[in-house]
Amino acid sequence: MRCLTTFLVVLALTAWPLADAAHARLSLDTDPWAEQGAVVEPLVIVVNRSNPVEDLSSADLRTIFLGGRSHWVNGRRITLVMREPGEPERIAILHDVCGMNEDQLKTHFLRGLFTGEILVSPKTLASPAGVRRFIFNVPGAIGYLRQSDVDGSVKTIRIDSLLPGDKGYKLHTENRVTNENE
Amino acid sequence: MRTNRQPKVGWRRESTNSPAFLDRLLSIASRHNAGLLLLIVCCGVAVVGAFVVRDLQTTSAEAQKMYSGSVHGLQQIGELQYYAQETRRATLYALTTSDSNLQVEYADQSRDADQRVKDGIADYGRQAKSPRAAELADRLTRDWVSYLNVRDEVLASILEGSTKEAVSLDLSGGVPAFEIVRKDLNEVKRLYDADASLRLTNLVASSRRSSWRLIEILGFTFLLSCGAVWTIQKSQMLSAIQLAKLQMEFVASVSHELRTPLAVLSSAADNIADGLIEEKGALRRYGAILQKQSRNMGRLVDEILLFASTEDQKNRYVIRPIQTLQMIDSILSGTEGLVQGAGFVIDRFIEQDLPAVLGDPSGIAQCLENLIGNATKYGGVDRRIVLRAFVAPIERGAGREVRISIVDRGMGIDPSEIAKIFEPFYRSSRVVAAQIHGTGLGLSLAKRIAEAIGGRLSVVSELSVGSTFTLHLEIAKGEAMVETAISTSLPARSSYI
Repeated sequence: MRCLTTFLVVLALTAWPLADAAHARLSLDTDPWAEQGAVVEPLVIVVNRSNPVEDLSSADLRTIFLGGRSHWVNGRRITLVMREPGEPERIAILHDVCGMNEDQLKTHFLRGLFTGEILVSPKTLASPAGVRRFIFNVPGAIGYLRQSDVDGSVKTIRIDSLLPGDKGYKLHTENRVTNENE
Repeated sequence: MRTNRQPKVGWRRESTNSPAFLDRLLSIASRHNAGLLLLIVCCGVAVVGAFVVRDLQTTSAEAQKMYSGSVHGLQQIGELQYYAQETRRATLYALTTSDSNLQVEYADQSRDADQRVKDGIADYGRQAKSPRAAELADRLTRDWVSYLNVRDEVLASILEGSTKEAVSLDLSGGVPAFEIVRKDLNEVKRLYDADASLRLTNLVASSRRSSWRLIEILGFTFLLSCGAVWTIQKSQMLSAIQLAKLQMEFVASVSHELRTPLAVLSSAADNIADGLIEEKGALRRYGAILQKQSRNMGRLVDEILLFASTEDQKNRYVIRPIQTLQMIDSILSGTEGLVQGAGFVIDRFIEQDLPAVLGDPSGIAQCLENLIGNATKYGGVDRRIVLRAFVAPIERGAGREVRISIVDRGMGIDPSEIAKIFEPFYRSSRVVAAQIHGTGLGLSLAKRIAEAIGGRLSVVSELSVGSTFTLHLEIAKGEAMVETAISTSLPARSSYI
């Protein structure tokens, strides 16, 4: 019985990445917000102000967000900060950076922690202010915010040498819906 | 009526043992109705009161300053201690949860508290009054920053999820660093206590000084008030004695003045009744004597009644324009008998075209008759009186006035007595000794009348040379209203009567 259980777990963990990759390819080919014709706002990758990093490639960013890298060049431990599942910013990052959906990311981290390839799981915060304050307090933290939520307490880094607002900048999220009656 | 210095009052001679200053003080109080003394005492008390109030205000301000300083200092130290603990408490609370949102909230609380500690230390450093306090503020700043460095690492570890590492960091660095800060804060409190104790000592000393000063000032005020009350009572008593004495003298004088003509009248009447006088010539002489004495008595009674009527201060005179020259003629005519009877002559020097004056004809007549009668009593051996009437500028004012002066070359008045000769019943011992009869009312009456008709009476005198009494009268404006004073008229510029 024990052998059977182990076999099933290994089989499941082996089969999921294949399904994930197929799904990811499908997702990357389409922009979820562009498809719906929604108005978009740049999504900014932010780090602690003491972090020496200024620029990251898309590949490095994907590696970091998937837990494939544990330390910055200055030796500080990388702490990944994310919004709660279902938030538009998180959906955009999963789609544009990780090439995954929520389930795939969950599976990815579950498998990484189980196999020991990933040492730290992402921290989940409820609000943009929480993300900002977390990154301000933790020197090795990295996270994402809408451009309108960024202030001087965190540092914006370039992605593929592009800043938000630059032509060709790829990270966007749908504009925040506001109630006009408010 | 005119007098030389009469002894102030009997008490002055009797109390020769009193200090000269006290004597003078009582004299002043007596002369100026004690009101001036009371005013001086009130001013003194007000000045002393102002000093007391200022002293109390200074002490109160010092106490308030110390109290507010103490409260502020204690509040500052209390806040420093509280927020230092709060910084550490919030950091340690972050250890108790794995919820990143809560951890961030605790981190924020810790940072808010540490900012307040920084501000408090900066305030303390700015207010430091001693080098030791300034040095302590610097040390506290350094030690607090050292603790915050550790705290930041601990917070970062907690937020990263490395709880074990965070606890280890806190035990190895946070606890010792915070202990140093706690010791610094305790030293701040000790230093503050020492400073407060010193300020309290100073305040107690200042308060004691103020209390003594207050007691001294109150004592001084009490003595001053007692002295003033005593002086006022004494002066009032002396005034009453003096008045009583003067009134007694007046009664004696009036009795004497009345008794003399009465005696003459009585003996003349007896002689006639007894048939001792039968000859026509002798009878006529007796008639003249009776007439003269009865007139003297009538005049004396009139004078007393007039004085009594002016006592109630009611103005019985009607002020109107009067022809000056006619008025003078009328008065001289009225006093002709008196002057000739005394063996005097009056030299008239009257300015031409004298303007009309404002006054009451009967009042002016009474006033001038008193002055002329006075001159006949004290006029001296050459038996001449000068009447001058002229226009002169008003003293201490604009415009002009008419002055009517009665000048004699008699015994004169001592300068020190000038102020007293207008007091009712006042007669000097010199006059009494010279057996010059009088009631002491003439000049007083003349002055009251002069003031009642809108003028004033002045005197210039020199001992053994003579005196000049001047009636100052306002010039009337508007000739149409001028009336002739009294029907009797005499030649305008005759030299002698």
